[in-house]
Amino acid sequence: MSTITKEDLNHIAKLSNLPLRDGEDEVFSQLLSDTISYVKVLEELDTSNVNETYQVTGLVNVYQKEDENVATLSQEDALKNANSVEKGLMVTKGVFDRS
Amino acid sequence: MNTLELNKLTIVEALAGLKAKEFSVLELVNSCLLQIEKLDPQFKVLITITKDLALQKAKELDNEFATKGESIFDEKPLFGIPYIAKDNYSTKDILTTASSKILDNYYPPFDATAIKKLNDSGAILLGKANMDAFAHGSSTETSDFFTTKNPWNIKKVPGGSSGGSAAAVIADMCLFATGSETGGSTRGPASWCGVTGIKPTYGRISRYGIVAMASSTDSPGPLAKTVEDAALVLKVMSGKDPLDATSNPIDVPDFITEMRYYSLKGVKIGKPKSYFNIDLEPETKQKVEEAIEVFKELGAEIVEIDLLDPKYAIAVYTILQRSEVSSNLARLTGVRYGNTRDTFGFEAKKRIMLGTYALSSGYYDAYYSKAQKVRTLIIESFTKAFEQVDLIIAPSMPCVAMDLGANESSSMFGELIDMLNEPSCISGNPGVSIPCGFSKGLPVGVQIIGEMNDESSVLGALHKFQEVTDFHKQRPEL
Repeated sequence: MSTITKEDLNHIAKLSNLPLRDGEDEVFSQLLSDTISYVKVLEELDTSNVNETYQVTGLVNVYQKEDENVATLSQEDALKNANSVEKGLMVTKGVFDRS
Repeated sequence: MNTLELNKLTIVEALAGLKAKEFSVLELVNSCLLQIEKLDPQFKVLITITKDLALQKAKELDNEFATKGESIFDEKPLFGIPYIAKDNYSTKDILTTASSKILDNYYPPFDATAIKKLNDSGAILLGKANMDAFAHGSSTETSDFFTTKNPWNIKKVPGGSSGGSAAAVIADMCLFATGSETGGSTRGPASWCGVTGIKPTYGRISRYGIVAMASSTDSPGPLAKTVEDAALVLKVMSGKDPLDATSNPIDVPDFITEMRYYSLKGVKIGKPKSYFNIDLEPETKQKVEEAIEVFKELGAEIVEIDLLDPKYAIAVYTILQRSEVSSNLARLTGVRYGNTRDTFGFEAKKRIMLGTYALSSGYYDAYYSKAQKVRTLIIESFTKAFEQVDLIIAPSMPCVAMDLGANESSSMFGELIDMLNEPSCISGNPGVSIPCGFSKGLPVGVQIIGEMNDESSVLGALHKFQEVTDFHKQRPEL
């Protein structure tokens, strides 16, 4: 039995902003369910008194010094790969419906 | 020396030859380009060949040597050395796709820090190597363009995700290549192609400009023909980078010197029972056991140790990697660069969605948070082991290179096949794979894992091994 249904999968695809092709929801819901059932192996381990480790360096509060950041791009370079450019700016789809 | 075979030299040999004026940088670069022209159509190693740029830089370096003399070799430790970069390394104004269609038109306006360091040290870029798209895989079969073939046997995959890089090195198309490892992507292909591959301590080499997979374990590193060569390149690529907040602030050791003076006498090498009890191919196990005998003869003491079962690392890796992928690949919208999100390949979509699921409300604690807690247990398990031993030895992969189509064998193919590399990726420990024998005409890899920041001991032990063996000198008939 799939733990992730086709409906769940379509919801996840929407959250992920991924357009799916016909039939992909079925394939992906099966594959994701398989993976989820594998990772349940972690339930064997007692972690009730264990803290999370999100990153392993132990570094905290790492800031750039102002004079160190030389990696800025010119406007021309920043726009070079843009899909659509107008008046020196990147064009994106509208966020609000103004009609 | 026959200038047609200069491509077969190691970095150390090539530097000596250049210094002695036995050949020019241009001749060295040309011999690699010839090998690429001869073999690339068959093995499909490269996505981009930067021939004109390479020839131009070779001429410039030859002129620089003529003007400045030998001091140039101190100034530029990789003077005139031709290399190939994995295609997830940003290269200024050179196509950088990470083997994905969504980036098939992306020309970065900047170099990755590691690329900049290599180029400044005199290394010459010959091209960009094929990989699994976004490094999501262990065979190069998830590349949106084509699959690279293993130079030892054209019916086999080279491993992945740095499969193009490993194939390029063993086919003598270059003197070294760059790879990146998040859960086995350097040591895996190094093992299946029979070259040396370094997964350094997390943070040792800057991630800046490398197309992100799972940022908390992404570790760029070199693939080369010998441990000595790989150490030379590691030294150049390493160091604190203000552009990567997680890069390692401690001074970069002189790996070469520390490696050369290393002695295995009295060194305790741990043999994790849990790594040898998995379903290992018998010949692979036997070759690794033979390698262990060599380490014993060199003075090491082998101690059986307990490490957390790698099956847990597979699960932790799967959750963390997909979660971080879903976040990292959210930035690809086709606005600033690249194509729209409908051009993502199958594997990328699968991983993004699983990550989105694991991070979503109601599931976060069960998956993401749980995995981060088990990461702590994995780290504790290594820490405990290193209280008993100096180094840890294991096979790099459970078997030799698999047939083409390997990726179809399981929806978690990459995670399962990389199980012996994932724990040290999750914990951040350094690990290096080298060839230690052959089975069915294919190389077997052995790896040594070290304590955090102790690449020198790992490299030292493996260098000693290469001094008394010649597996690293074997080449496929091409």
